[in-house]
Amino acid sequence: MAHFHIQNLTFSYPNAQHRTLDGVDLTVEKGEYVVLCGKSGSGKTTLLRHLKSVLTPYGSRSGAVLLDGQPLEQVSQHDQARRIGFVMQSPEDQIVTDKVWHELAFGLESLGEDPKAMRLRVAEMACYFGIQDWFHRDVETLSGGQKQLLNLASIMAMHPEVLILDEPTSQLDPIAASDFLNTVRKINLELGTTVILTEHRLEDIFPYADRVVMLEDGRVTANGSPRQVAQLLWRQESQLFAALPTPARVFYGAGGEGTCPMTVREGRGWLTGALENRPITVNEPESAPTLPETGDPALCLRQVWFRYEKDSPDVLRGVELTVPRGCIFAIVGGNGAGKTTTLKAACGICKPYRGQVEIFGKPLKRYRPGELYRGCAAMLPQDPKSLFVGKTLREDLEEMCRDSEQIQTVAQTCAVAGLLDSHPYDLSGGEQQRAALAKVLLTQPRLLFLDEPTKGMDCFFKGKFAKILQTLKSRGMTLVLVSHDVEFCAEYADLVSMFFDGQIVTTDTPRRFFGQNSFYTTAANRMSRCVFRNAVTADEVTALYRKNRGDGQ
Amino acid sequence: MQRDAFSQCHPLTNFLYFLGVIGFSVVIQHPAYLSAGAVGAAVYSLLLYGRPGWGRILGLVPLFVVLSGLNPLFNHYGQGVLFTVFGKPYTWEALAYGMTIAGMFVVMLLWFGCYSRVLTSDKFICLFGRLIPALSLLLVMILRLIPSLTRKARQIAGARMCIGKGVAEGASWKEKISAGMHVLSALTDWALEGSIVTADSMRARGYGGIRRTSFQIYRLTGRDIGLIAWMAVLAAGVIGAGGTGAAFTPVLRIDRPTWGLAAYCLFLLIPPAMQLKEAVQWRISISRI
Repeated sequence: MAHFHIQNLTFSYPNAQHRTLDGVDLTVEKGEYVVLCGKSGSGKTTLLRHLKSVLTPYGSRSGAVLLDGQPLEQVSQHDQARRIGFVMQSPEDQIVTDKVWHELAFGLESLGEDPKAMRLRVAEMACYFGIQDWFHRDVETLSGGQKQLLNLASIMAMHPEVLILDEPTSQLDPIAASDFLNTVRKINLELGTTVILTEHRLEDIFPYADRVVMLEDGRVTANGSPRQVAQLLWRQESQLFAALPTPARVFYGAGGEGTCPMTVREGRGWLTGALENRPITVNEPESAPTLPETGDPALCLRQVWFRYEKDSPDVLRGVELTVPRGCIFAIVGGNGAGKTTTLKAACGICKPYRGQVEIFGKPLKRYRPGELYRGCAAMLPQDPKSLFVGKTLREDLEEMCRDSEQIQTVAQTCAVAGLLDSHPYDLSGGEQQRAALAKVLLTQPRLLFLDEPTKGMDCFFKGKFAKILQTLKSRGMTLVLVSHDVEFCAEYADLVSMFFDGQIVTTDTPRRFFGQNSFYTTAANRMSRCVFRNAVTADEVTALYRKNRGDGQ
Repeated sequence: MQRDAFSQCHPLTNFLYFLGVIGFSVVIQHPAYLSAGAVGAAVYSLLLYGRPGWGRILGLVPLFVVLSGLNPLFNHYGQGVLFTVFGKPYTWEALAYGMTIAGMFVVMLLWFGCYSRVLTSDKFICLFGRLIPALSLLLVMILRLIPSLTRKARQIAGARMCIGKGVAEGASWKEKISAGMHVLSALTDWALEGSIVTADSMRARGYGGIRRTSFQIYRLTGRDIGLIAWMAVLAAGVIGAGGTGAAFTPVLRIDRPTWGLAAYCLFLLIPPAMQLKEAVQWRISISRI
């Protein structure tokens, strides 16, 4: 018997014109790993929330949801709490209590478990998830990844049969995200827990999912194995195709034959096989035009040293950085290495105790208070929510500037002109990021800092965001961004710097930078390095493949 | 923080100890008991805080001096007149009383300093959570919320600074208040948004169903029961032996200390004694290796 059976589910929010879910029919078998994907606003979250009564939104609804053949409304709240685990997006807000051990026990306490049984369950979970080391800590001291793992563990402590995860990794950096997804996969494999997941980082989960369900405007448009869905997306020329793993994208883009590769390993196998016995005539992408030399740099850091407290270790240990004018400059590196601190030091929030920061050739200290942030430099913070103060986006933008014409122009540039009258919190993650960018742009900066701009964005939004950045660059703005997103940097940055151990280790063009690296590089490069040199994006690999096969000429 | 043997005991043991020492230091005004209490509290503060503990203790000395000197200005009873202030006698009985009250205050501050280190919020909740489950959960949630909100507020202020909306140096108070209001309004929006998620997360984990139980990581062991019994015996000794009376004005009359004082000292010394015992044991076991 199916674990979940959704029958012809239709739902619309009160006062909404259109249906958020429109006749959804879906079965999920016991122990299956199902990935639900679709663009933001396609109804993924609404659908997931229908799988647990307490979270079901208000609105008009028809159709039925059956759990083990029993209508969900007839399953008691107590049973639902125990049997259906639900992990949400925000690692921070889901946590209720102040101690890790207490959070682990929260669900069990609510279910009225016997304290002795609870002790064992909590111990078990702490071991399974590797939480022993931070069992006694305050939740406030945990990293985002640890927080989300704690949320997962505290739900698993109730021994649910189904685990529902609503974009659980959207607020995490890629390393924490893939750790988290591996844990989910381990739960699915080792405990047989049914997993239903929405995710925009398909690269990590596509190869492992049993089934992929595609939602578009509240309808199921595809439902099948990852390979079938990938093929369908290619044939429909869907915008979601961009979210597929790189090997699959290269395969379809190059018109490959045979089974579609999903992982880097399979991709390598396919590429070497397809180019076997053919002379490799072109093995390197055409070199990109070099940046024109432009006077003095936009930003220059010389021997910058910084630590947060007198006795704490140095975070920046002699940072040397020169950013030429009019380029997109990316700083990549591990978690907690000090990338964000570098940005803060560059824009004057952190005052280095040694070394000098120059913006447009003028030392930071010589800027009068307030002068720096008017028409010179500005920063887009990691969390766009920290910039919103108004009831509508328009109010927020008017805080910066009274000129409605200018607001219109900037809103158009950032593609938020249609959203001006909505509350900033009602926007999706990607829209919020663009709205925050619009607000920052109203200070008319010549040098813009961006802290993890692509965090929580799906591929479709990322492309849109990158276009905005390129427009800004073409107008002569200098953009410095700090990111974990290797693929994004490879595709759109002009220069990439590696940050490690409080210093900039190396700076180069993305092609040379990622081409030299063998671990810290893009999937496209890892897949193609056995055949081509310095190809770092899917498009480059596709182009090289086509050239060598002699097609498309 | 220094490692402390007594802090590892069950919260109930910790709580009863502090109930005892703070209670006695409030009730007993006898100078010998008070001095013993002061020494005990100072020793334990040093054990808990280490080097910065000296700063805490020395910082209380001026407070003690000021408070002691203040009482005779308002209380003119007593026979031994030292001098007159504004035509009113400044008696040494009143000064002695002032010193007692000031001493009591200072000792209490020291004890509460220790209390906050030993009886952390989770221990407090472990003790009283069962009595008032809803309230204790509320307390836990507030403890969770405060650091999270301060962090967010700092984040908002930083973000606003980078778009030229921060408080510049030398801004007028009007600008400062307006900037503060903006941060507060942004923080409220953010917190409300977050609280919806928290509420969902609580209901999704069965909150509000049947009566909650509470999970404890502390266990009452035999050692705790032994300690509690020992504390009870000593407390009974202090109360039973008497000799704790002291009156200052109009006539100074202080009881002769009895063996109750010894019991009181033993009571005070429980945490340092445990620490010492642990240190000695380690020394011995290391020397055997």
